[in-house]
Amino acid sequence: MSRPIRNHEILSAVFAKMDATAMAVAMGSLCSLLLFLATAVLLMQASPENYPVGQHLSDLTDYLPGYSVDWTGAFVGACYGFLLGGLAGFFAAVYWNLTHYFALGVMLISSAQLAD
Amino acid sequence: MNAINDDADQVNLKLLKAAIRFNARILGLTAGTLAAVVIYLATQASIVKWGGDSGGYLDLLAIFFPGYSVSPIGAWVGAFWAFVYCGTGSWLSYRVYGKVLGTRISALLLSPVSDANPVLKPSTLRLHGVSLGVAIGSIASLGLFASTAWLVVRGTADESVHAALFSNYIPGYSVSIIGGLWGAVELFGLVFLSCLLLASIYNKLVEIRHKTS
Repeated sequence: MSRPIRNHEILSAVFAKMDATAMAVAMGSLCSLLLFLATAVLLMQASPENYPVGQHLSDLTDYLPGYSVDWTGAFVGACYGFLLGGLAGFFAAVYWNLTHYFALGVMLISSAQLAD
Repeated sequence: MNAINDDADQVNLKLLKAAIRFNARILGLTAGTLAAVVIYLATQASIVKWGGDSGGYLDLLAIFFPGYSVSPIGAWVGAFWAFVYCGTGSWLSYRVYGKVLGTRISALLLSPVSDANPVLKPSTLRLHGVSLGVAIGSIASLGLFASTAWLVVRGTADESVHAALFSNYIPGYSVSIIGGLWGAVELFGLVFLSCLLLASIYNKLVEIRHKTS
């Protein structure tokens, strides 16, 4: 890097706000892929005939109606993954931004009181 | 931090370190609260759905959450432990993230670097996939190794059939010290790749959405 980093650039990096929509889509995509792969990995493993595959993972159906450890269920799981991951990403980003605003407000009030 | 940055002397290191500490606390608070809410809601949902028969997999959390059970009081105990574990893990992750980013923080997280007032007109955050992968990957691996070691130390390794199921996704993993070490290495790789993917999707969307603004 050829020039010194200014203080306000460091502050910009700290107080930069997270894009909630982008985070929701990114987290949704990642969770969707992970749940699909978690199911697919079990389906692709060799197992004896009539042996129940993914007994434990299939218990997810208690929380995700329609999900099952088969190829259809893998796609249903991917949809749930996108939805739940997206919600988690969205709320995490919104909460992150709100916490920053709150902390910033407290700091501004404190500095104003010190100035008085 | 100095070791990885040639221009460390040109940066207000005191401000940079304070900034990283500040964000680490915010992330710890954010992630800890979300984890606490998830555990609380999952426990309550389990009670509502299954009543006296509730428990099952959630009860296994008591191995790591002392005092936890699938009950109304247990929901609060679980929320407390989730806040502690997830908050600490996230706080540590950001410390590592900040350490890896070092003095390149503004160049890597802000693109382009804005001259606007960072408080009145904040920039949009970018993620640095490699640093994120190293940070979250290392904490996740540490978590897996520590959990496995705990199962071994308390003498229930042989009964931990659910933990052993990890070997479906992490070949070579077993509930033993060596298996835990091997699992930690593999988990680091998986989390690292996931973080690269997450950061690339997020950054691309930010780039598209803020191109015109």
